[in-house]
Amino acid sequence: MKGNEALAEGAIIAGCRGFFGYPITPSSEIAEYMARKLPGLGGVFFQAESELAAINMVYGGSSTGKRVMTASSGPGISLKQEGISFIAEAELPCLIVNVSRGGPGLGGIQPSQADYFQATRGGGHGDYRLIVLAPSGAQEMMDYTIEAFDLADRYRTPVMIMAEGTLGNIMEPIIVRKPEEKSYDKSWAITGCKGRKPNIINTLHLSSEVLEERNRHLAAKYKLIEQNEKRAETFLTEDADIIVVAFGLMARIVKKSVMEARKKGIKAGLIRPITLWPFPDEHFKKAAETVRLILSVEINMGQMIEDIRLSVNGKVPVEFYGRIGFTPNPEEITKQLLLLAEREGF
Amino acid sequence: MANITILAGGFGSGKSEIALNFALEKVKRQTEHSKVILADLDLVNPFFASREAKKQLEDKGVRLLGPRADLAFGDVPQLPPEIIGIIGQDNDMIIDLAGDEVGSLVLGYLSSFIKIRNQLDFFMVINPYRPFACDLESVVYLKNMLEAASKTHITGIISNPNLVEETDAQIILEGHTRVLKYADAMGIPVKYLTVEEKFYEQFLFQYGNQLKLINLYLRPGWLKVL
Repeated sequence: MKGNEALAEGAIIAGCRGFFGYPITPSSEIAEYMARKLPGLGGVFFQAESELAAINMVYGGSSTGKRVMTASSGPGISLKQEGISFIAEAELPCLIVNVSRGGPGLGGIQPSQADYFQATRGGGHGDYRLIVLAPSGAQEMMDYTIEAFDLADRYRTPVMIMAEGTLGNIMEPIIVRKPEEKSYDKSWAITGCKGRKPNIINTLHLSSEVLEERNRHLAAKYKLIEQNEKRAETFLTEDADIIVVAFGLMARIVKKSVMEARKKGIKAGLIRPITLWPFPDEHFKKAAETVRLILSVEINMGQMIEDIRLSVNGKVPVEFYGRIGFTPNPEEITKQLLLLAEREGF
Repeated sequence: MANITILAGGFGSGKSEIALNFALEKVKRQTEHSKVILADLDLVNPFFASREAKKQLEDKGVRLLGPRADLAFGDVPQLPPEIIGIIGQDNDMIIDLAGDEVGSLVLGYLSSFIKIRNQLDFFMVINPYRPFACDLESVVYLKNMLEAASKTHITGIISNPNLVEETDAQIILEGHTRVLKYADAMGIPVKYLTVEEKFYEQFLFQYGNQLKLINLYLRPGWLKVL
């Protein structure tokens, strides 16, 4: 399956029966797959007139307690930010997928990780967070999507899958795993109030006290997510002098460079954040005690590097290598590692 | 001369890799005055399109016809303007279409110009392990959609049963058996079975001329590391 198809099939396996979106390269195969499959499963596929309409349909759909999603790419996700802010405050579980492309502006459709800030810093207005998962292959596109719906329901929060164009289009074999059935309390959902008090979903809080109370409530929830859900993959970090940090597809490419660098006698390792928010800072705090240099490799001009620097808090120098429009290849990163090792004398 | 081979099929069925291999095989048999042209008419999705192998093609003497360089990675459909002229000339041409019926629409437009060619092979590539090629009903549906969009009848099937790196002989055999059943039900001959080099020898005796060796030109090497 292609990554985008694996993601869409994962959503169906997770019980998602509502897709609302507006097509954009390189995410369109998700919409196409859902358009072909959902009607036959009693679900709803709706190509909205715009991204604004689509995200508000997700808002409405998730208000009913059903599993719903949207998928887009950078410019489309920008248009959806207002709705995402509303959904976060209304505490509605849903999935938002960004198969990102090069920006800013219309940019281009080349693979890119330049929406890291947008994904992890909120993007929309107000004090909110999204759980952001970054898969690195077609199998994870499926598995993380299934998991994303569970995280969304468990914390009543929108979850984002952050992929990029190549990952959406990569062809890989898939093992389909049926997840265990979990049930969640959805007594808040709008399902028709016959025989009970109406549920009201609203994000307008004119009273200062209520506004602050709402923000404190969300902040406490985000704290809980930070405690429970930080995740990273580590590769050859135990004895490493230099650690490369990369997420998503880039991490996979870096893995090859790390192995090449090891062959040349450089003790290199990899930390791959799986959750971009909450950022897996403990992995970096631990690494900072032994490692001599950290190199962040991103398909952008340097975004995740800020989170790495916050995590190591000045204990280790953090350098950057990135490109956009092109995906750095393994040889290119190996060369960087060799240059840094020579400069630092290890 | 003046043959034309056109590859259509489902999204991700393997058309571009097969087109590249066909072009590079044809150019090996090229005589002094013949020309091999690969037209990359994927106007739908630029990821993993045959134009990515431009350098390898041109080094070997294949002329690549595709979107102009500054639009090669765009989602703006751009048909090379010289295509109709080139179809009318004496050359050996391979056309790589985009996936599904949307990908074959461009052939609908070109179909009246293609009639000039002495021999037309319009192949439907099937990888039976792809999501929408798992059952006969889906394959027949796609075949009808491809023919309607392209205004051209499919003349043969290319069986491309694989799970990329996880392919083994059993996977090829089981998949190919399914493709043979689809082909039989649709009344279209299977022209080729495509396999990677490591499987070529073991299948050659059984499949002979039908067997085509495929090298993967568009697959990134780092994929194997996960």
